[in-house]
Amino acid sequence: MSLCQNRLQEERKQWRRDHPFGFVAKPKRAPQGGLDLKNWECAIPGKANTLWEGGLFKIDLIFPDEYPTKPPKCKFTPALFHPNVYPSGTVCLSILNEEEGWRPAITIKQLLLGIQDLLDDPNPESPAQAEAYNLFKKDRPQYERRVRMVVKENQPN
Amino acid sequence: MATWMSDEGLGVRESISEAHILVTELYNPANQRNPARINEIQTRLQQLQKTENAWAIADSLLQSEHSAQHRFMGALTFTVKINVSWNEINQDSATEIMQHLINRFVALVTNGEQAMVVRKLASSLVAIFRHPVTPWKQAIWQLAASLVHGGYVSEEESRAVDFQERILPALSKSGSGALLFFSIALAEEALRLDSEPQDGTGDTSAIQRAIHNIKDGLLLVQFVLREIMQHAKAAGDDAVDVALAAEAMNSWKTWLGVHGNRQRSSAEDVNVLSVRCGQTVIETLRVPSLSESAASVLTQAFETRRWAFDNNSLWLVSEILADSIVTVHIAAVRSGDEGTESMSFVDLLIAYVSHLHLDIFSDPMTPQNAAILTLIHGIFKTPGYASIDDLGTPRVLEFWNDIAESLPDQLEQGSSRYDLVKSHLAEVVLGLSSKLLYPKSEDLEDWGEEERSEFGAFRHEACDYLLSAYPVLGVELVTVFQRSATSCLESRDWRNFETAMFCIAQLSEAVDENGHADQCLDAIFGSDAFARLCAGGETGIPLKARQTLVDSFGKYESYFERHSSLLPGVLNILFESLNFELCAHAASRSILTLSKSCARVLTSDLPAFLDQLDQFRSKPTATVSTMPKVLEGIATIIQSLPGDQEKVQTLERILGFFVQEANTAREEVTGSAHEFGRLRGHLVLSCIASIGKGLRSENEVIDIELTKEGDPYPPSFWNSGPGAEAQRLIMEAMRLLIVDFPVDSSIIEAACDILKAGYTERAGLFVFPPSMTVDFIKSFPLGISGTDVIMATASSFLASHARHAMNIRSEAEALIDHVAQLFSSMLQNPDVYDPETANAGIDFLTRLLPKYYPILFTPMKSNPSAESPLAVLLHFTLHALTRPEPLPLRAASAFWVALIDLRGSSPEEMNILESVHQEFIPRLCYTIIQQIAGRCARSDLVALNDALRRTVFKKMALARPALKAALDSLDAQVTDANGQQVPLLSAQDKSRFLESLAIARGSQKPSLDLVRSFWLKCRGMNFDYAQ
Repeated sequence: MSLCQNRLQEERKQWRRDHPFGFVAKPKRAPQGGLDLKNWECAIPGKANTLWEGGLFKIDLIFPDEYPTKPPKCKFTPALFHPNVYPSGTVCLSILNEEEGWRPAITIKQLLLGIQDLLDDPNPESPAQAEAYNLFKKDRPQYERRVRMVVKENQPN
Repeated sequence: MATWMSDEGLGVRESISEAHILVTELYNPANQRNPARINEIQTRLQQLQKTENAWAIADSLLQSEHSAQHRFMGALTFTVKINVSWNEINQDSATEIMQHLINRFVALVTNGEQAMVVRKLASSLVAIFRHPVTPWKQAIWQLAASLVHGGYVSEEESRAVDFQERILPALSKSGSGALLFFSIALAEEALRLDSEPQDGTGDTSAIQRAIHNIKDGLLLVQFVLREIMQHAKAAGDDAVDVALAAEAMNSWKTWLGVHGNRQRSSAEDVNVLSVRCGQTVIETLRVPSLSESAASVLTQAFETRRWAFDNNSLWLVSEILADSIVTVHIAAVRSGDEGTESMSFVDLLIAYVSHLHLDIFSDPMTPQNAAILTLIHGIFKTPGYASIDDLGTPRVLEFWNDIAESLPDQLEQGSSRYDLVKSHLAEVVLGLSSKLLYPKSEDLEDWGEEERSEFGAFRHEACDYLLSAYPVLGVELVTVFQRSATSCLESRDWRNFETAMFCIAQLSEAVDENGHADQCLDAIFGSDAFARLCAGGETGIPLKARQTLVDSFGKYESYFERHSSLLPGVLNILFESLNFELCAHAASRSILTLSKSCARVLTSDLPAFLDQLDQFRSKPTATVSTMPKVLEGIATIIQSLPGDQEKVQTLERILGFFVQEANTAREEVTGSAHEFGRLRGHLVLSCIASIGKGLRSENEVIDIELTKEGDPYPPSFWNSGPGAEAQRLIMEAMRLLIVDFPVDSSIIEAACDILKAGYTERAGLFVFPPSMTVDFIKSFPLGISGTDVIMATASSFLASHARHAMNIRSEAEALIDHVAQLFSSMLQNPDVYDPETANAGIDFLTRLLPKYYPILFTPMKSNPSAESPLAVLLHFTLHALTRPEPLPLRAASAFWVALIDLRGSSPEEMNILESVHQEFIPRLCYTIIQQIAGRCARSDLVALNDALRRTVFKKMALARPALKAALDSLDAQVTDANGQQVPLLSAQDKSRFLESLAIARGSQKPSLDLVRSFWLKCRGMNFDYAQ
């Protein structure tokens, strides 16, 4: 088995054993019912006592063959209204950037917790979408209204 | 006494005396409520612990007869002093300290010292062991020998006596306990050292010397545990020293950790000893007072040190799990007689079966393992809710999930073992059913948000199991829940019905599209009881059951497409469910999904749906999250009506209502109900936009690229025929909520969605006159929130007319002029600079370039004047490159890349482009060089490099002199080593940079690396990430 597959198996085990409350992370199922370890469907809950509380945001983690040398791509599905999320849904975060903060030791749990932190603590230095970034900078009450709507649209089932 | 510990020196006695007083003060109850005083004492003590006299202070305190606290502080002072004097300690002094500490350690233990002092002094011994010059290897052996001897014995002398056979049996009970303290401290230190860079090399490093102690550490564990078990047998469970046994077990775990980090293949004897020692720990499971600690330690070892168990160990565990006091504990958990305190036994059970994984299903299966599997299945019978009162079920489920996932890959289908596992997987399904029951409302009332969430997560884990088991169990799995659903529906057992439907809904992922479970679904949805439900005859159905049912409809989209006769009834339930807050969201989602996939068959039911819409729209649940979805669904059905005439009547009925609502919103915003008016306005426009989405028939979408020249707004049924009134109603609603209505970005967004709804069609209700878009866009002032959405709409508008661009020339010009005016205002008055408008406006220009550049360039022709709109636009894009806001800067870079890439299609166009390039590329080069010479932020370098490399690659002849001139203009100075002011960049630096750029020929990475180094040189190396 490749390093990538081995690591992902281990990540799966570790996640099952211990994962942060309210988070979901599991490999997608192939049409025959088997698991596609390089493609995970995850969900991140909004942090308590923040605007994002109550929402559960679906995000796909796509692992390259070179994982863990290279980081996974993290993509909200559907794309999320957030200053650091590209219109395609891809998250812009230093720990997900091979040339910046990515380290092979970073676990899926740490990644998802990092993205959860980013939700309520956007980085205005690295805007990824104009819509949320502009409202965040210019019209905070409207930004907050939009976030509340996003939370409403993304309630856990 | 060693000289360094003597109390003869200058001020030593005073310091010792002060330290004694300070320790007494520190623990004086009178001072405990005075944090300032305690802090003062501690600070002074810490100062004393670092002085030259600290050795003497430590030794004196350690011998104090005053209190254990004094002796504890003495041991601590030794550790502090060893660390403080680390660099002064040589081999001789290290040996001397070690010898002295061993003597003190033996003396304390002999005198029956308290555990906290012995433990602290064990840490001091480890501190000196850790020192790289300490020649101490078999520390446990030597300390044990010293304890037996009653004083220090050299390492050489101690090695002459057999550790296992002679030294260990001669140890007193307090001696073996003290030795265990030292053993654990040494093992923990070894684990820490493993993750740190090492002082010393090869065999002399502390970690290498620590490794020599693994075997002795394990022998000690085995000795202590056997002694305890023998004692328990003889004197009974009450006589067991539980704390000592727990120390021994932890010691086993810690030494396993040290050994596990090594190359185990080269230490077979230690491997064997680790396993044997583990077997001794396993045996302690039978001792009632030790079983819980043993279960916990063994669980951890199973999870992280698989190699510490051989077949004998596993057999031993299986025997104990199947029939011992442990079995009794697990049974008690299952019957709810024992709570979380006994979970360590369940954890051990799971750790054991997880260790064996599929091997537990051996052929034939051992009686012990068969009993263990029965125990495992029995956990599902634990009373209470899973994850809340019953913590065992989620853990057991984890194991079965793993088994279900691995089975298809690891055992041959049809083999006896495969079938055996399959039967167990089926048994799990039956066991789980009762655990999935949603809480009764009286129980739910006592739950907080966290409990609800925990239980919800468990249900989803359980469904994850069902999906894992489906490839093995097949449709039979759905049949189990179908039978339950059908009979519970018949008997109105709503709680069990909800559970069955919840499972069926989750299984849709496996069976909806392929139709494998259609017969099962027919049995539910084709039943008389379900027909009663559809007809609205079941008023007693609880909300949770309704919510789950509604959710399941949306999940079986393909099934209902294949069984369209069921749809009217299903939609009836869905519309009815819109009235309940708990269900409205799921119901609106399902209405949309089903209407979209089955629109054609639903047209005859449209009147009924419209009646239901009329009722729904006045309900509090008709919000911006639900109503637009319902309207999009209904519009999709309307779109499937055969003729436009039929569509018009229905649409007018719906739109008429929204115009009324728009009027109400307008009245509200002027009064005290301002916020209601805003919300109502937003809801109205969102609903109309959704109707536009629903009416967008995929078959009739025009291909923008293929559309030929023609009238951009040809007369049609919808603008000059019978549909015109419906279109007028939309325009009226828009007018009411935009003109003189408070600006609001959500309203703007919804209005833009309405405009965009018709851009992909040639004729239709939402195809408005082009002037409507232009007037709309021009109506907003500079700086409002939502400008990006407005300008994106302008871009979409131009894109939709791209093939007949010249036919909307005046509209395109008006939009370009509008943007130029906005830019001009911002250039003239920097206070009103709005990054959103800058970014959106530049982005608009970039997107219009490929098709509309002839219109953009026309006013300037060959000689651009400074006042022309084009000049303003181009100046503004250069200005944006110099500003700190990242989005306009990136947009400006993308604009210049697009402009440089642009090629005219006629000689005239090429000439115009050439003159633009001639005029502006030198300015672009100047701007970029100024920015990358340390002015811009590091994160802007990528965008600036994109414009630079494209210029270098495509326009080298123009760029080279321009870049040279720009580089020459850089005149920053720095102070050199001699204090002289010298240029930051030499002429050589500049020319090398330029030549390297030329050689990179526009390649992304080489060019970016050059730009980054250049930026760093100009900005200062302390900005380097590597610093």
